[in-house]
Amino acid sequence: MNRQELTVMADQAKTKHHHFSKKVCVCCGTSCMASNAEKVLEQVQQNIDALGLKDEVEANLTGCMGLCNQGPLVKVLPDHTIYQKVEPEEVGDLLKAQFVDKQPKKDKLLFADTRPEPFVNANDDPFFKKQHKIILKNCGVINPEDIEEYIAYDGYKAFDKALNSMMPEDVIAEIKHSRLRGRGGAGYPTGMKWETVYKYVNNQKYVVCNGDEGDPGAFMNRSVLEGNPHSVLEGMMIAGYAVGASRGYAYIRGEYRLAIKRFETALKQAKKLGLLGKNILGSNFSFEVEIRIGAGAFVCGEETALIASIEGKRGTPSPRPPYPAECGLWGKPTLINNVETYANIAPIILNGGEWFSETGTAKSAGTKVFALAGKIKYSGLIEVPMGTSLREIVFDIGGGIPGDGEFKAAQTGGPSGGCIPEQHLDVGMDYESLMSLGSIMGSGGLIVMDKSSDMVDVARFFMEFCMDESCGKCAPCRVGTRMMHDLLQRIVDGKGTQHDVDRLQELAVYVKEASLCGLGGSAPNPLLSTLRHFPEEYANRLVSPEVLIHQHLEL
Amino acid sequence: MPVITVYINGQKISTESGVTILEVCKANNIPMLTLCHLKGLHDIGACRLCLVEIEGVNRLLSGCTTQVADNMMIRTDTDRIKRYQRITVELFFAERNHVCAVCVANGNCELQQAGYAVGLDHIRYPFLYPECNVDTSHPWFVMDHNRCIMCTRCVRVCTQVEGAGNWGVMNRGHDVRIISDFNTPWGESSTCTDCGKCVHACPTGAIWPKAVAQGQLTKYPEMIGELVEKRKLLQ
Repeated sequence: MNRQELTVMADQAKTKHHHFSKKVCVCCGTSCMASNAEKVLEQVQQNIDALGLKDEVEANLTGCMGLCNQGPLVKVLPDHTIYQKVEPEEVGDLLKAQFVDKQPKKDKLLFADTRPEPFVNANDDPFFKKQHKIILKNCGVINPEDIEEYIAYDGYKAFDKALNSMMPEDVIAEIKHSRLRGRGGAGYPTGMKWETVYKYVNNQKYVVCNGDEGDPGAFMNRSVLEGNPHSVLEGMMIAGYAVGASRGYAYIRGEYRLAIKRFETALKQAKKLGLLGKNILGSNFSFEVEIRIGAGAFVCGEETALIASIEGKRGTPSPRPPYPAECGLWGKPTLINNVETYANIAPIILNGGEWFSETGTAKSAGTKVFALAGKIKYSGLIEVPMGTSLREIVFDIGGGIPGDGEFKAAQTGGPSGGCIPEQHLDVGMDYESLMSLGSIMGSGGLIVMDKSSDMVDVARFFMEFCMDESCGKCAPCRVGTRMMHDLLQRIVDGKGTQHDVDRLQELAVYVKEASLCGLGGSAPNPLLSTLRHFPEEYANRLVSPEVLIHQHLEL
Repeated sequence: MPVITVYINGQKISTESGVTILEVCKANNIPMLTLCHLKGLHDIGACRLCLVEIEGVNRLLSGCTTQVADNMMIRTDTDRIKRYQRITVELFFAERNHVCAVCVANGNCELQQAGYAVGLDHIRYPFLYPECNVDTSHPWFVMDHNRCIMCTRCVRVCTQVEGAGNWGVMNRGHDVRIISDFNTPWGESSTCTDCGKCVHACPTGAIWPKAVAQGQLTKYPEMIGELVEKRKLLQ
């Protein structure tokens, strides 16, 4: 395929889709699929035929719309009417009411069971109103298994622009200008990372996509890979062109069957069109991408462990320096970014870095996808500008705590993050603010806890996770997490003393500073942040040594 | 190699570039504790005893894996480093079942020496007492997992020097164990050449020859580095 053919194809695809005045999108993400979305889609297609609307209404499977526990979801465009919990047998009535009677069925509208007045246009709903979508813009709109539709929505236009009208230096300058930071959690400036890899002279460089999302309760990367795999692939291709790499690897978590399948389909389609392979779009740039499937180790999300895993070795981290940018996959300069980082690239190239940097805060530009979970009314996947306050996310978008519960804390960054208490609800969600509260942005997991949560037990739970997931290579993490877990268990069991808390404090700082990689380096965060923000919960649990001895003697 | 200047604990040292902080310390008689390091093997920075503070770097780096750079200000003797070394050694002792009094390596054990070096008089953490096997299936050698500290020197010497690849690592976290082949008895190994390099590479009494009694074990770990040097000359 050359440039002209791509343009022709985009035009044809656009005409094809514009031919329809309405579009019915059936969410076929993992969660909706689990609640029978495929049957719903089948019924939608059959009923459109039956109603004789074949020439007006298009029906498609799409990726995640963000509200996983309201599924299966059916969205009608351009009205943005969303129906929730759609059963296959209800589809007929629903479509008839929508298209023939022009009276949307009120009782099936999104949040019909929880909001007194559900919105016919879902974009008016507070859940969507405060969101700002860049990464998830086409997620839930386009068919993730159809490259044509992606191209119709300006897909591969950014790649074409980069390849044909920009030098690699220009691409990097644009990314730097956008102030995009790594979405994997650490927030390293993406443009600087690209520049470093670009500057190393080597006949072979690699681009790696980290899709080994492992935080409990996090599903941002999964949804992007399932809902818009081509956007990630396009980001990787632009990165390959910018840093001078000819091969890419997408490392996807093994449990993400659907994401792997959809990304595989995306690769095949791109290859067939000649968007991957040799001399892409008539240029002298060649690029291939392969998938590597993770085998279920949390630590493989750490970049050096991920690289070892791709090489076929035991997934354990190695000390840095040297950084992967200098000596990565098979000893070659390697660019490694998160799924979400790559998904940001095409919009930046298309609209310019300036446009991107207008969203968010001065130090953290753009948007961030969060997976809202826990004790919250409307859980799901949201995308908000950086700096949006935690209060807005929890109460405006998430609808607050269900029942008569009260907000207690929000855990960001999964097992590597910390708990943010009520008095800091107005904190803006950006890298620095979260860091100053002893938490981290992480990849975007956000677990809300109400007053029924026991913070010592929360700390113990996350420590258990880190203890199990420690690779066992370095002593501080291997033994330290186990010791901290055992001490926390003692306090939870009501057998802890002040001495145990002191030892925990000392061990936590030690493990944080002495560990080899980021897993150990951040494992004590839940413990340290709960100690800092909820000291009374620890104090209330402690017993004096005398009582302990007494109990022991009585036994 | 160009000559560069580094400062270790305030002492100005001229050294060639491309060497590690540990190598510079050794060459200049600056003490640096190590356990997973063994000359002749690739360093992995796993035991974290050789941690150093470097001015301008906000985290601690392992001296065995970090190369020196011009005008690097390195500290190996701060209170923090000493405190962390002590905790690390304590954790090693608490992790498995190290009983020096009945150990073949008593008096000739690198872990024991590390304990003396950090002034270990007691261990502040609860002992974990894990259940560990003792593999006596090999005709000449014993692998006692109770005394293993997971430095993986045996794994590396077997792969990198002998080229046999008998030893490996299985499981994660505190469940990690050294395994022979695919976790089969050492005596049934199809890859082990019975060379005995792992016996000398092992810093503790985890791998030892059957012919020795308690406290009688003498090892010669320097042999590994010498062997590597000799092989280089032959090439």
